[in-house]
Amino acid sequence: MKLDQAPSAGRCYPVARTEELIPRRIAQVQLLGREIALWRSDDGAVHAWENRCPHRGVRLSLGTNTGTELRCRYHGWRFNGDGRCTFIPSHPTQKPASTLRVGIYSTAVHSGLVWVSLDPEIAATTFLVREDPHAVTLRSVFVAAPAAAIAKSLSHGYRISAAPEAAATAVAVFDDLTLAAPAAGRAPGVTFFLQPVDVMRTVIHGLVSPAPDAHERLAVLRHHNTQLSLLRDALERTAAAP
Amino acid sequence: MADDPEVESILWDDWHVVAEVSRLVEFGRFETVLLGIKVLLERDASGEITASRAGRDIGCVTLRYGFVWVCLGRPARTIVDFAECLEPDRLTASAGSVRVAVSGLRAVENFLDLSHLAFVHAGYLGEEPHTEIARYNVTLPPEGGVLATGCRVYQPKPSPMESQGFDVDYVYAVLRPYIVVLYKANPVERARKDMIALFVQPATEESCVAHILTCYLPHEVHPPAVRRFQQFIFGQDRPILENQVPKRLPLSPRAETSVRADGSSAAYRRWLGASGVRFGAIPT
Repeated sequence: MKLDQAPSAGRCYPVARTEELIPRRIAQVQLLGREIALWRSDDGAVHAWENRCPHRGVRLSLGTNTGTELRCRYHGWRFNGDGRCTFIPSHPTQKPASTLRVGIYSTAVHSGLVWVSLDPEIAATTFLVREDPHAVTLRSVFVAAPAAAIAKSLSHGYRISAAPEAAATAVAVFDDLTLAAPAAGRAPGVTFFLQPVDVMRTVIHGLVSPAPDAHERLAVLRHHNTQLSLLRDALERTAAAP
Repeated sequence: MADDPEVESILWDDWHVVAEVSRLVEFGRFETVLLGIKVLLERDASGEITASRAGRDIGCVTLRYGFVWVCLGRPARTIVDFAECLEPDRLTASAGSVRVAVSGLRAVENFLDLSHLAFVHAGYLGEEPHTEIARYNVTLPPEGGVLATGCRVYQPKPSPMESQGFDVDYVYAVLRPYIVVLYKANPVERARKDMIALFVQPATEESCVAHILTCYLPHEVHPPAVRRFQQFIFGQDRPILENQVPKRLPLSPRAETSVRADGSSAAYRRWLGASGVRFGAIPT
């Protein structure tokens, strides 16, 4: 993969794979210690909201995705795609104040992942890699270790393939949260995107490109899953050591 | 004691429920937490119940309404009085104790809350489309607390005995920062009311134990059914309470948006702030 654009101040972070946006459901993700309610409306738009109803603080991810709005589980307050409150059941004939809204973040879908920018002023449109619509998304791996430790571990001896010619492949660092290894021999390249859940926890998202041939696909996915699981176990052992 | 946390006197020098008596009868000994302090309750062979902390006796321990009450400081007032519990035909029974991972102040506020009934207790204590909350009265009694009168909600199954829905009249009274009681119109005797009290034990600032006391009029009331019903209802509240962020109750009116239906909750928050309650709260 090639660099598309340099990172900017209003950076965006991966928070989920697009498959995790199940119709009429609400996912709960975390980014830099903030809880986010993630949902897709029936029109296809992806929403990332502060996971907290402005009324009594209940997590909105407990609520209902009606296809156009989120409905809070506690008192049935409804919020439209802009985060604005549209209906308060205890006062059904009154129009809610226009200032009554949920905190929202900007989102984008790119490379099979959902991206969020915590900076409300800047749209989440800055990407480091060119999108390959045929890329294969790896199973995301949750690791109880800081992102910096994972980046270091990935850039020191991650093997993109078990083949001997791929043994020495190093993972190049694009920035502190984006790492890539080019294709080597028959092994396709892989790009990792790190989601800093909080200071101590990280999710590793991965993308294989170009897409492997159908008959090799499973072997490629297995290889990366094993590699990432070993990396996670080693990092978590280190973190747990006294 | 020197290692006492700095808990405000309104809580420290008051009585709090720490266990159901039946729990001690069964186990003889029970360890719990009150206002951040580990409390050990023991029942000896003669049936006497004692409380201690770190091996030292807590003098202020007594039994009332089927619960063990403790005061960690010097009691500035007596245990709340419920005249109803003295009426001989009433069935007074504990409906159980439930641990909740949230500030007890949030639990009290939820107990006061009318507009969640149609959503959290749908099919029992409320139901759509009966969601509108009619105007009710909120007053601050001179002795402290909050009183909400004239509350009326449609309930499909208002009690363990009812199978018919009807409009139910409620009165709510916050008596202490962590004690709230409701009076609910009895369907048989219109002039008298069933009573349910919630004694919330502030364990830590972000966790509590809710002890439920029911005092029903004797019409077709079966204590095991009452207990089951109250625990079922509280079981619906618990996951909501444990998903409130932050876990402590914010007292600033700007922290969370209130509407008119939240009149009692808004008054409760103001009263807590004015009374200097800090344990379990985010002060303004």
